[in-house]
Amino acid sequence: MQEFDVVVVGAGAAGLRAAIAAKQAGAKVALLTKVHPLRTNSGLAQAGINAPLGPDDSPEAYAGDILQAGDGLCDPAVVQNFTHQAGDAVMWLERAGTPFNRAAGGRFDRRRIGSNSRARSLYVDDRTGHVVMQVLYEQFQRERIPLFADWFVTSLALEANRCVGVNALGLRSGSMDSFAAKAVILATGGFTRMYLPSTVSMGTTGDGQNLAYQAGVSLIDLEMVQFHPLACPGGKGLMITEAALAEGGQIVVAGGQPIAGLQGATRDKICLAIAQASRNGAGGVWLDLTMIGRQKLHQRLPQTLDLIAKVAGLDPAKDLIPIGPVAHRPVGGIEAGTSGQTSIGGLYACGECACTGLNGGGRLAGNILTEMVVFGARTGEAAAAYAKSAPAAAFPAGRLDEEKKRLDALISAEKTEYTAGRIHAELGALMDAKAGLLRDAAGLQAARDQIHALKDKYARLRVKNQSPIYNYELVSYLELGAMLNVAEALVAAAAARKESRGAHRRSDFPARDDRIGISHTVVRLVQGEPQVDTRPVVAL
Amino acid sequence: MKYAFYPGCVSRGGCPELYPAAVRVAGKLGIELEEMKDVACTGAGVLPQYITDPINARTFAKAERMGLPIMTICSTCQGVFGQANLRLQDPEYRARINREYLADEGLEYGGTVEIKHLLWVVMEDYGADHLKAMISRPLKGLKVSPFYGCFLRRPPEVITPTKETNARKSYLEKLIDIVGAELADFGGKGKCCGFPVLTANEESSLSMTAKHTSEAKSKGADCMVTPCPLCHLSLDGNQPRAEQQEGTSIGLPILHMPQFLGLALGFSPAEMYLKRHIVSTMAVESKVNMMT
Amino acid sequence: MQANFSVYRKEPGAGSKAGRSTYTVELPEDATVIDALLKIRDEQDPTLGFRGSCLHGYCGDCTVRINGKAGFSCAVKVAPLAAKGGEIAVEPIRNMPVIKDLISDWDTFLWDKIDVIKPWLEPNGAASLDGEELIDDKVMAKVRQAMSCFYCGLCDEGCTVLPVDFKFVGPAALTKASRFLCDPRDHATAERLRILERPKGMWDCVHCFEASEHCPREIAPTERIIEMRDMAFKHGITNEKVARHHHSFANSVRNSGWLDEGRLAIESEGLTNIKGLMKLLPTAAKAVARGKAPIPFLHHKRPGADKIARIIEKAEAKEK
Repeated sequence: MQEFDVVVVGAGAAGLRAAIAAKQAGAKVALLTKVHPLRTNSGLAQAGINAPLGPDDSPEAYAGDILQAGDGLCDPAVVQNFTHQAGDAVMWLERAGTPFNRAAGGRFDRRRIGSNSRARSLYVDDRTGHVVMQVLYEQFQRERIPLFADWFVTSLALEANRCVGVNALGLRSGSMDSFAAKAVILATGGFTRMYLPSTVSMGTTGDGQNLAYQAGVSLIDLEMVQFHPLACPGGKGLMITEAALAEGGQIVVAGGQPIAGLQGATRDKICLAIAQASRNGAGGVWLDLTMIGRQKLHQRLPQTLDLIAKVAGLDPAKDLIPIGPVAHRPVGGIEAGTSGQTSIGGLYACGECACTGLNGGGRLAGNILTEMVVFGARTGEAAAAYAKSAPAAAFPAGRLDEEKKRLDALISAEKTEYTAGRIHAELGALMDAKAGLLRDAAGLQAARDQIHALKDKYARLRVKNQSPIYNYELVSYLELGAMLNVAEALVAAAAARKESRGAHRRSDFPARDDRIGISHTVVRLVQGEPQVDTRPVVAL
Repeated sequence: MKYAFYPGCVSRGGCPELYPAAVRVAGKLGIELEEMKDVACTGAGVLPQYITDPINARTFAKAERMGLPIMTICSTCQGVFGQANLRLQDPEYRARINREYLADEGLEYGGTVEIKHLLWVVMEDYGADHLKAMISRPLKGLKVSPFYGCFLRRPPEVITPTKETNARKSYLEKLIDIVGAELADFGGKGKCCGFPVLTANEESSLSMTAKHTSEAKSKGADCMVTPCPLCHLSLDGNQPRAEQQEGTSIGLPILHMPQFLGLALGFSPAEMYLKRHIVSTMAVESKVNMMT
Repeated sequence: MQANFSVYRKEPGAGSKAGRSTYTVELPEDATVIDALLKIRDEQDPTLGFRGSCLHGYCGDCTVRINGKAGFSCAVKVAPLAAKGGEIAVEPIRNMPVIKDLISDWDTFLWDKIDVIKPWLEPNGAASLDGEELIDDKVMAKVRQAMSCFYCGLCDEGCTVLPVDFKFVGPAALTKASRFLCDPRDHATAERLRILERPKGMWDCVHCFEASEHCPREIAPTERIIEMRDMAFKHGITNEKVARHHHSFANSVRNSGWLDEGRLAIESEGLTNIKGLMKLLPTAAKAVARGKAPIPFLHHKRPGADKIARIIEKAEAKEK
């Protein structure tokens, strides 16, 4: 057993920022991650990172845009708290060495992306997330925080409504160990791999959401799943940054006619317009970047140019790129405060796996990285403070052995009719069709039933690989379990919200309904079943 | 065909056999050489660019004044020159170098000089067919491994800027074919010989020497041919120490590219100074002598 | 489409023998190599080990050799390879120890090496408290280019030094160092250069340009390493052997216009380094006997040497 004050699970931007903050607050920290920090899904964020730093901007103006994108479901106090911290959090990144693009005179250049009313996104070409991740990892290395890379957390250790550590499987050693901690921070990212196609990395499977959910923590606003409007089906969900629109790109239908009214629209509106145009028999929808010109593309969108060529086999300087909406990021997640606190003592959550109420029904473009660094830092500090003041709690004896037994029991040479990959493929197609961009009661009911059926199959599924070292079959199995559980909760939440709002669109309830709508959807696991409640949004 | 001949330091220093061999071969082929005498070492990638760019610009300016392309007989000279010449294509940078360093001497570099290694000269300007006609002693039965030297392979913007120049990556193989010898191809032909780290990490350097020479040997090579005297120092001069370090015996003769071509043009091994090598060239010599 | 694969296999642990497994997979037309590997693991062989993360070509986790060419298994399409017939060979990338199958040891290959070069910014304190540092975007662009590195390992895979000396820090880690050396917000240049000048550091690079040729992001690691060496030259080289070599080289060119190799060899080894000099003797003696080696005192001045010396002195004065 290893002992720490704070254990962080997940090494994306939020996890790294939290670990750095906790260490700087004096805690003994360890970070566990199933994938190396520089291979995490945080690198997917490309267009920019929002901060109200421009002379024409203010935390208030920024808050206005967030509230607008959130479609009435943001918690205003959280928004206010956030927008007042965003500038400092992003300046911290600049001080740590982020090479943000500069305008003439050497000041930050800023992009206006998505529905931001101002040019507010600082950016690093079209790899903002990738570069911010490097800077965070640099600072993480500077703090000399122990990194347990290729470690998969299999369970939380709970004792009297308090989290006192985690059990984890070392993929490289092939053995289990427990990590006792006074505070545990979940920063495991999103879950949209339960949708296929999907823009996200293989490991974006809702592991942390599932751990919290199983422990009795509520998941909120799960029905709000953002689709990315600019995904290229030829590249199996390859996402093209919205910065492409900011640089002059246009969404066009057959004949090259641009779809009107998309300038400055929120993501969900653009997605709907694209879906609508496709349904109207327009023959398809394309992203047209040709007017930007090869030189500017190379200068401003180098990664986009490269990836579209390599992965989709197209040349953006002369080809139109077929696009369509693809599942991208959740807005909802583990119910958490602005310091990451959850309903369980010592258990914290931040980043994409958490839901603070900041984003309401839809996240403003360019907000994800800001959210990670703002709440990541606050959560790390809060966890360190908690660890300092919390009474000692023993790691429950025998818990590791139980966990070992549980995993051993999963391994069997016995043949099953299904494989994890097939169950995942079915789940992905199901979620995309029935709990995707447009939903209705019948579809959600069908989704619920089919998820039950898939869960039955999953229960009979066994892991055949008996070789302990880098047993990725076992990892995929555990990830699939998490996705099924969270998918079930998501479908329950989507069925319960009988209106259309933000990223949640119901064809049977096409309008926003403020009489029933201005509350969060809260899903809790009660006797093995998702139970849905609501919690009103608190006005300022 | 006339060139401003830049022999480099090593062809008369560490490899004094190279200079006369190259001059003889050029003479036989009717390639006219006007040697550049009052010019400096290229810097060989050892001296920093802020020093070598000005002194190389000076060399280029002199060749430009002669109205001749430069011919080198060393991959390293060729590479360092090529890289510098590419940077000097930037008019602003060139103007600064001219102003700050060359103006005193009344020199100015206009950016127009062409720089070619002897290997490129014979393959491109002289031409394979022309060359074939000059072969008087086909080296039949001699198995030869090529070894280029990094700077005659990379970086691509310097070595192979156009589609046509892509062929430069296989000139040695072509030459081996033209002179009637047999190719003993091997994976290390475009790699580093080890010379550049002889000072910083001798062990690495000698490992590379041993690796390449034994790999070629294992492919049945009677000898190796290189257009770079620095590679020669490493592969020939350091071969005994490399053998010692790795605890093996290799004994692979290394020929300079002009020596190799010279033998096929009818020169005797002595006229090509094969005796000046560290690794005995006896095996090659006796094979060649049998051919006459 | 049906495709045949021959995949490198190795069980973990020292002494285990490497082998190959062959698989035949039915795949959709647009499948990539990682799709095939995932399908094999799911349906045929759960023990197959390989890495992957983003699936869209930007994270660098899934680098392998496919038919002898290093690339990203998530970005290489199967169809054109399958059309050639025969088996598609998938192997781990070179120069990296293998843990299991296609899973290589990135820790010793790369992450641990990056850790050594002080991979974080040491701010110079020039920034005002409430605003960004004003920096020309051209300067920033060079930092951004370095940071577009996604640690795919291709430069290290192409490196000519790593196969003979695995302890060499390698072009990827050196590129990381360049990211700080070209960042005007950093103030630790001297310290960084001292670290980089240690044995197995930047002087061990042979500047063969393989790294630049292999880099898929045009980061030009070789050019960056050369630039770092030039920086060391300006700051005063701290690696003793290299310093002597450079000093002797520069002096030779300064004094005579060209290189005096006999003196260079001796001075690089160090005139007081008896053991080092002895080591040169057998080869040197043989070389002299055969009329090969240059003899230092015979080295004469080139015409124009004084003009060359003046240029060198001017350049040095300007850069210091």
